[in-house]
Formats: sequence, C-alpha cells, structure tokens
Amino acid sequence: MKIQSIVIRAGRSLKQAKSRTVLTSLAIAVGAFTITLSLAAGTGGRDYTDKIVKSNTDAQELVVSVQPPKSQQGPQKYSSSTGGAVISTALGSTEVLTQNDINRIQKVADVVSVTPNYNPQIQYITRPGQDKYVASIGTFSPSVTLTYAAGSANGGLADNEIILTEDYVKALGFSSDQAAIGGTVSIVAEKLSAPISAPESQTFSYKVKAVSSTSGLAFRSQSSLLISDNSAKTLYDYINTGTRNFNHFEVVSVEVNNANNAQTVKNTLTSMGYQAQTAADILGAVNTFINVLQGILLGFGALAILTSIFGIINTQYISVLERTQQIGLMKALGMRRRDVGRLFKLEAAWIGFLGGAIGSGLAYLVGTLSNPLISKALNLGDVRLLIFRPVSIAVVVVGLVLVSVASGILPARKAAKLNPIDALRTE
Amino acid sequence: MIEVKGVTKIYGKKDNAFKALSDVSFTIPDGASVAILGKSGSGKSTLMHVMSGLDRPQSGQVIIDGKDILKLKTKEVDKFRSRKMSFIFQSFFVQANESCYNNVSLPLEIADVSASRRRTRVDASLKAVELFDKKKAKARELSGGQKQRLAVARAIVNSPKILFADEPTGNLDSVTGAVIENLLFNYHKRFNVTLVLVTHDSDLSERCDIQIHIKDGVIDSIKRKKL
Repeated sequence: MKIQSIVIRAGRSLKQAKSRTVLTSLAIAVGAFTITLSLAAGTGGRDYTDKIVKSNTDAQELVVSVQPPKSQQGPQKYSSSTGGAVISTALGSTEVLTQNDINRIQKVADVVSVTPNYNPQIQYITRPGQDKYVASIGTFSPSVTLTYAAGSANGGLADNEIILTEDYVKALGFSSDQAAIGGTVSIVAEKLSAPISAPESQTFSYKVKAVSSTSGLAFRSQSSLLISDNSAKTLYDYINTGTRNFNHFEVVSVEVNNANNAQTVKNTLTSMGYQAQTAADILGAVNTFINVLQGILLGFGALAILTSIFGIINTQYISVLERTQQIGLMKALGMRRRDVGRLFKLEAAWIGFLGGAIGSGLAYLVGTLSNPLISKALNLGDVRLLIFRPVSIAVVVVGLVLVSVASGILPARKAAKLNPIDALRTE
Repeated sequence: MIEVKGVTKIYGKKDNAFKALSDVSFTIPDGASVAILGKSGSGKSTLMHVMSGLDRPQSGQVIIDGKDILKLKTKEVDKFRSRKMSFIFQSFFVQANESCYNNVSLPLEIADVSASRRRTRVDASLKAVELFDKKKAKARELSGGQKQRLAVARAIVNSPKILFADEPTGNLDSVTGAVIENLLFNYHKRFNVTLVLVTHDSDLSERCDIQIHIKDGVIDSIKRKKL
C-alpha cells in the first residue's frame, strides 16, 4: 500500500474521531506551548543581555578587583599585606585596591590605562529655584553606547559638563529635554573628614551637555548622571580626602589596547592576585542565569510531553480496540502487517503534528501579543523579550511528530499482530 | 483450480484441543460455484479461512493455480489475497464512517492501483451494484441491503479470481437477500469467477455447481451438479 494512501486514510479516521483527536493533541499542545515559549524567551533573553553588555561595557575594558581569599570561612585573618586596605560593608569586608595596585596593573603589557571607579557620593543636585534631589554619579565612557533624547556626547564630555537623564530634566524644572541643553546644574558635596561640629560642603557647577533617554538596554542611563573621569576624581577627592578609605578602590577599570588582548591581560592579572572580568565574562555569567531559567521551563515542557505520550498510547490502544473489525477486514483484503502498523503510527504522527502546530501557534500568538506588554511592564523600551525563530518552531513540531510516532509504536504493533479471523469474529 | 488436500485444523492445546477440520480433501475446478454447507460449529467457516490463507492449518495443502498457499510467507499470502481473492461477510463489515467511494476504493489502495485507475474501477463497481448515486454518502446512512451491495462492490472491484462469501444473505430479508444472490451469481457467470459460498440456506446452495456438506469437521458428502 502506498504511503500516501495510508497518510490520507489515517487523517480521515482521525477526523472521524474529532473530539478524541483534539483532546489528545491538546495534551501535546500544552507541552509544545511551554517549549516554544521557553525557547523564545531564551533566544530573546540572550539577545537582550548581549545588547545590554554591548551597550554598557567595552570589549577593551576589564573590571578588576582583588581576588577574594579561597575558601574563606568566618572572619578574615589580618595580614600585613592587607595593610588596613579593607573596606567593611554590611556584607563583610572586602580587600581593596590602592595606588600601589594601580601602578602595578599599569605596568602590565597591553594595558593602556587604569581608572579607579570613583563613584563619588554627593549630597544632592539642584538648580536655582528648584528642589534638591539625591543622585548617583557615574563616569562617562566614550566606548559605551548611549541613546540621547537631546544633545549628544559622542564628541566627548568636557570636565565641566554633565549628562542628565530624562527624569532629572523634569525634576529640575526644565521645560523640555531640548531646553535643558546648555543649562547649568549644581552638585553639592560634603567633605567627610570635616568635624561634625563644623561641616564643610562645596558646590560644583556643570553645564548640561546631553540628555540620555530611558532605554531598555542601558543600566547607567536610567539612574546615573554622567560626568567625566576628571570631574569624578575632583568630586571624589573633595569628599574623601582625609578619610581612612581615601584612594582605596573596590574596583578599577583597565583599558587594554586591543579587545583580543583582554583575555591575556586577564590571565596575567589573575596570576598577580587580582580578579578580572572581561565583557565576555559578564555576558557569560548573565547568560548562564538565562540558560538555567530556560532549562527549568524546558523541563516543565518535557514533563507535559511525557504525560501526553501516555495519552497518545492510551488513545491509540482504544482506537485499535474499537477498530478491531476494520483491521481484520483490511488484513483479509490483503493489507500487509507493516502497512497496518504504519496506519496507526501515522495517526499518532497526525496527533503529534496537530498538537505541535496548535501549541507552538498559540505560543507564537500569545508571545507576539504580550511582547509589548512585557516590555512596558519591565520598562524595557523597544526591546522584545520573546523572539520566535521559525527554525525552533519547526524543530518543536517535527520533534513532537517523532515523539508521537514513537509512542504510537506499541498500539501499532498490537494492530499489526491482530489475527484477522479473531478480528472479524468481533461483532 | 483449488485443491484442498488432507487439511487438519486444531484449535486450542492439549486437553482443550478441538479438531475444527479433520483430514478434509476436495477439488474445485476454475469458475465453479461451490456451497459449503453445515450447521454452526461444523467447521465450514474455518474451511473458508484455510482456503483463503487467512488461517493456517496444522497439516495439509491448499493448492491454488499450482501453488501451495500454506507454504508461502505471510507477506506473499497477503499479496495473493489482495490480487486474486475477495470476501463478503454476513455482517457486511463496511466502514460506517467512510464514504461508499472510499469503502470500495480500499482493496485497490491495498493492491497499489494508481489513483486514476482506482477512480474508473470504483465507479464501474458502484454502478454494477446500483449504488453510484450514493457514491459520496457515508456507509452508515445505507440500509442493510445497500450495505451488502456495497460489500459486493468492494469484493468485485479488484476483479478477483475467487470470491468467498460467508453467509452473504444471513442478515437480510428474503427480498434483499435475493438481490444479493442474483448479483453474486450473475457476476460469477459473467466473469467465470470461482464462487465459494458458506451457507446453511438450502435454496442458495441449490444454485451451486458443487455442494460440500461438513459435519463435525469432516466431509459428510460432496454433490456435483450434472452439467
């Protein structure tokens, strides 16, 4: 019997048992739905982190800190090398980098510059006649992609210039993003070493160079106001001079001359006792997290499929029982065992195809519809978190057809083995 | 020619063994009509199954056109059946959910006949049993007599050499039964097809060239009509 005839007959007998077919394939559809969505979320998530890392980090940049002592349990022992260069935080104490370390790192081959992460803790930012607002200050890096709502710092940022975010433009009473450009804002910083009885503070003024727009891709633009490295150092120096932690840094950024050398420099720094992370490391770490999440989702999908396998086996066994007579007749008419088996396997294949198509189709529909909602809820701007690739949908559907055929094997074998005489005796 | 030689068929094993056929032998010439008669449980259905290769006896030979079909592999017997034999059953065994067309088309699909040839042959077959106007109707919508006519159409569509009919009129009233009877005998005469009828209807059996009476698995008598 020709395979085409069998496929058509299989399809027809499923059509005659519509509700049963649909119900069985719905079980598979649940699995297909989950798997398709988790694949889309994985693709979208990796794409998203890839963009984030690309727009926030620089392939030529390494983030360097002191290597934490291995297998540290309990409080850390004091040693002369630590030399008091420890910052204690609520999370524990961290060894920090001093000017000595910076000088050592500077000497490593291929290193262009070493910039401490100043992160100056200012009191507030304001403008004449406006309220005072707290703000976090970051340093501007020309290699990190920013999106601008107004103005641009692509030509560099001078030491008396600042990049505001849209939120601060509004808060500081500018009429529009465009109107803020060229305006002046004041940052007030407090000298930490000044005695409590005689607090000392100073006002620093900056001209607004650009306004960064809220983008789903950037970490910094959302919260930090950006100034140049030199300005940050000036602020830092004013605030911290005279304190214990002055010129002790948790993290420094190391710029290498070529992105390809980042790994070699990392290895050298590691052997020197520092912990260095390249852009690729950061991407890898975030992606590991996404992969684990995706794995969990896929696991649920697989579980649903496993359940539906028993559904198919059960349905097909019942179908064989119901159609004993038909099987007997077909065999009496000379239909070969192999073809009888194929008929039932192909019916299972149809069920799998239907389930896969329904499930992944629904997932595509739901995903496409909810993409804008998710982006809105998570404040991601124009980023789509669910990306459906036709290849992965095709793989899901084909995979489910194969799984269904495999689960149809046992019932198909039962059908093929039926003795035609016994089958025809069944009334 | 069909030669049945020393066929013995035993069902069950050891203590439960039941001899359905015991050393049965006879010969049927090509194009003859044969009635196999006997009470229920006499072994007449088993004999039909053995002759068509559906059932395998413990010993004996069934030689059709010089070939012992009991020595063939299952695959080859299936092929043999699909090319040369056809069946009509007491309870029709038409596929209720399928259209009349697809019911009749099944044997041709099994025999790998091309779609275009299937179409002409199915149409011709449905016309022969006067069911052409029901071509697209589902078999379940047919009456009992129409269902059996559909079964006849299915049986003749592949132009068989041998037509087996197991109590073909058993489930029908006398009028519709007579229609089926005439269809079968007309086809048998017109195309010189060997017709093997299993029945306990004496009227039906009297129209046959040969009457084989079976009793408790052995041949009671064989009557051949003088031509």
